[in-house]
Amino acid sequence: MELFLENILNLVGFVVGLIIGTISYIGFRNTGSPTLFRLTLAFFSIGVGFFIMWAGQTLDIFVYKTGHVERWVQTLGIAVQTVGYFFIAFSHTIKSFFPKSNYLRSIGMVPLFLISFISIENIIRSISFILLAYGAIETILSYFASRRKTAILVAGGLWALAIGEFLGWYYFVFPQSILNVVSISTKIAGLIMLFIPVTKVPLTKIKFDENI
Amino acid sequence: MSSYRTHMQIIGDILLTTRDDTPDEQGASITYLIRKANISHGRISKILNNLVAQGLLEQTNSTGACKYKISNVGREFLHAYNTFNKFADGYGLTI
Repeated sequence: MELFLENILNLVGFVVGLIIGTISYIGFRNTGSPTLFRLTLAFFSIGVGFFIMWAGQTLDIFVYKTGHVERWVQTLGIAVQTVGYFFIAFSHTIKSFFPKSNYLRSIGMVPLFLISFISIENIIRSISFILLAYGAIETILSYFASRRKTAILVAGGLWALAIGEFLGWYYFVFPQSILNVVSISTKIAGLIMLFIPVTKVPLTKIKFDENI
Repeated sequence: MSSYRTHMQIIGDILLTTRDDTPDEQGASITYLIRKANISHGRISKILNNLVAQGLLEQTNSTGACKYKISNVGREFLHAYNTFNKFADGYGLTI
């Protein structure tokens, strides 16, 4: 049952990521904006990440019937999503994320060695959390500059995705709990909040690029 | 503190000026665009040549002086620019 629920949530994540990615791509084709290109990469990556996890679960439900998804499929899906989160953070100029002091940089490397004994999935989830938290903070700062209300919702969506990643990471501590389902539900809620700016785009008035 | 405009925003400002704020039907002169779009002569010349080459602006020679008018393609681009500028703004980004 839990696997089936996860399967549906992953499918929703794939569809939402695909739609936002497509709108961003149409925007990129019509304007040539590098920001929209980064958003395209971000949301397509997030959508593909959900798709990989959905495909792995679907194969298990209908073909292999083992009751659990292969760990490498889960890790691959999360890794591809992390690439998407990186591009969202990168759109906010990620250079301000790194400390300029060499001493702080060397200290900052220490946790990488400490966590290198934990599984790759844990590392990827922690990177995702940092990127999403960074993106959310930058979006809130953008709201103070532009006062556009959708920016608050997007920041909320990024926070929801970050919490979802954190809960998914915490699931390793309590593997038998419903944390994984809560994690995916929170991530889907976050993605739906990210979807709100798309609803403001008057698609009927856009002249679509003939090559699309 | 005001932030720097991106290249896309400068293009948007130039196209908007040539659409809504031209002094006469012949179009806007370079001097007029420099003042309205708040950009240096050296930089605007390159951008205008590029916009004319891409068909977003039409160049007219009126009494020996070059003037610029927005083309239909330019109007469509400006419409798409405004739409997706709001879209990106919703994500706290500028295009």
